[in-house]
Amino acid sequence: MPTRGLTDRLAAARDAVKHFMYGLTGYEFARHAVEMRHEMEAVFMVVTLGDLIGVPILPPIYSLRLLPYVVPEIATWKRNLARRREFWEKEEYDLHGV
Amino acid sequence: MNTLVAVIIGALTVYLAYTLYARRIDRNVIQSDPKRATPATLYMDGVDFMPTNRNILFGYHFKSIAAAGPIVGAIVAATLWGWLPAIVWLVLGVSFIGWASDYSAIVISVRNEGNSLSAVAHRLVSPRTRTVLFIFIFFYLLLVAGAFVGIMAGVLSAQPRTQFGIIVLVAMGLLLGQMLYRWRTGLVGATILTVGITLVAILAGPWTEEIFKGLNAALNGITGNAPIVTYFDPTLANFKGAEAKIMPSLLFWALAICAFCYAGSVLPIWRMAQPVVYVGFWITAMAMVLGLGGAALASFVKPEVAQFQIPAFKGWNPQMGPAGIMPLWPMLFVTIACGAISGWHALFGAVGTARQIENEADMLPVGGGSMFTEFLLGLLALLAVSVGAKGAPVGAFASGLGGFISVWGVPLQYAVSLAFAAFIVIVLVVTQLIFRVMRVTLTEWLGEVIPPFRNQHVASFISVILALLLVMTGTWIYLWQLFGGANQLMAALSLLLVTVWLASVGKNWLYAGLPTIFMYITTVASILVTAYNLYFNVYQPNLAAGRTLPVIGSGLMVLVALLLVVAAAFIGIDGWRAFMRYLRRPAAAPKAAPARG
Repeated sequence: MPTRGLTDRLAAARDAVKHFMYGLTGYEFARHAVEMRHEMEAVFMVVTLGDLIGVPILPPIYSLRLLPYVVPEIATWKRNLARRREFWEKEEYDLHGV
Repeated sequence: MNTLVAVIIGALTVYLAYTLYARRIDRNVIQSDPKRATPATLYMDGVDFMPTNRNILFGYHFKSIAAAGPIVGAIVAATLWGWLPAIVWLVLGVSFIGWASDYSAIVISVRNEGNSLSAVAHRLVSPRTRTVLFIFIFFYLLLVAGAFVGIMAGVLSAQPRTQFGIIVLVAMGLLLGQMLYRWRTGLVGATILTVGITLVAILAGPWTEEIFKGLNAALNGITGNAPIVTYFDPTLANFKGAEAKIMPSLLFWALAICAFCYAGSVLPIWRMAQPVVYVGFWITAMAMVLGLGGAALASFVKPEVAQFQIPAFKGWNPQMGPAGIMPLWPMLFVTIACGAISGWHALFGAVGTARQIENEADMLPVGGGSMFTEFLLGLLALLAVSVGAKGAPVGAFASGLGGFISVWGVPLQYAVSLAFAAFIVIVLVVTQLIFRVMRVTLTEWLGEVIPPFRNQHVASFISVILALLLVMTGTWIYLWQLFGGANQLMAALSLLLVTVWLASVGKNWLYAGLPTIFMYITTVASILVTAYNLYFNVYQPNLAAGRTLPVIGSGLMVLVALLLVVAAAFIGIDGWRAFMRYLRRPAAAPKAAPARG
């Protein structure tokens, strides 16, 4: 048992170092890639379900046909847009921490 | 004194302050509760609000707060007052103030739905506090941008062997962005290629020295080797003051840095700013890790590079220039900023990091832990400048750090080249980010009232021109100290906000309140001392000599200093009123934490 405990601790320490290094290096790129994808999805959502925020672009019949594909994203999309000053605001107005 | 003892002092400081003080505050005052839902879990949107593993967040937060601050501050402080006051302030500052500021900024945001400090100030203190904070942030970024562009232009102009590596670094950053986001190359392969080429270019610096010397000579030949601007600089000639000259080559490199920063400010962040920072990070990290390890081992392996060369204490009030004063209090406490305490950390932590905290138990390891790691970086810079006493402050730092790196068997001349490059790289990459944030802050502050400021080119151009004007005074040490004062004042204001919040929720506010009082008084005093120095040491001599540009530059700095003091007074008065209001009328008990499902 003590040997196993030591092995587990070593594995946990290795994971911690691995995560720390990822946070130092690749995490920022991963975050930005997610932001870029999010922006693309936001455009798609506005085009298809814009009437939810007062921008009717597609006739509702087509929106309804696309609805099943975008349902999983609706909650986070609305939450994210609600925090923006303007819904078309993009990252050049991001304060990057400030 | 040798480096091993200093490293042991540093390790003990981290261990004792973290376990005996920080953990106690976290447990007894903040009462962090792993079962309480955090904004990251409550409002998860997959982008800003994203629960993240604590170790990943630790690395991310540390990288975001670690910049040139702890290095430049330690270099200047050791040069002015000796290594002893510097190490004492580093140890006491991080133990009682620094970690508390960083950690509390995350706490206040996590407990206030992930809001930024300015948004919390708007709600808890007064609406005008948010606007004043924007003004404050813009000018303090302007000061650090001016200081960094000045330092960089000076080093690049005087050290032709460093220029090739920097140009390749920028090119490799652009290539990395293209590879990752357009060509979808794997991160590991792209890193090896771009960082490897940059490293080779840095080490090849001595071979390209003659080419860049020729370039500088050709540039200076345009005016027949006559300076473009002449000014009185009180920091020259061993702080007795002397005439300084801005040659065409220095102006050329200052303009080149400004062009680079302008591009970093207006291009999409993935195209330039982010990948250049990433490549620069590896160069700096390599030098720092080898340096810190070398500092610990030097006493056994290479004792000649482990002995301190500069005096422990140089005096309470070293003379600087004909009429300058540089009293240890308050100036030391703003000269060394980021290794002991920094307002930037609080600003970033409250938004960038707090929205990713998965569990309240992670707030201390991430916020406090990163600050203690930053302290070690400041300590390394102090050791490097303390053992390498040759030449100007930056040169002393490079030779000291190069000595530590050489402990690993790297030939000394290459080790010094790497150390020099590490310093330039970390300053350069941070400067472009500063201009980016300046541009956004200017838009936030004035964009509603003056629509042209919403244009990113207008906002970036104005930021660059103002910084260039400050560089023309040439007195970067004063710029640095003014920035340090503003930065530390920002930390004091964030601690003030934490104190008001603690009072509003009926918690013991002393751990944040006492540092607030100390930092507020110290930093306002330091800004006034710097304004005094600027007026009598730079503005008046240059006015008497009829030099327009240095007079405008130093006059602008005095005005900025006074503006910062006025802004701080407004925030201080509003904060005090809010604090007394909450003390007299105890606020309702904190809301019960929603259960985590």
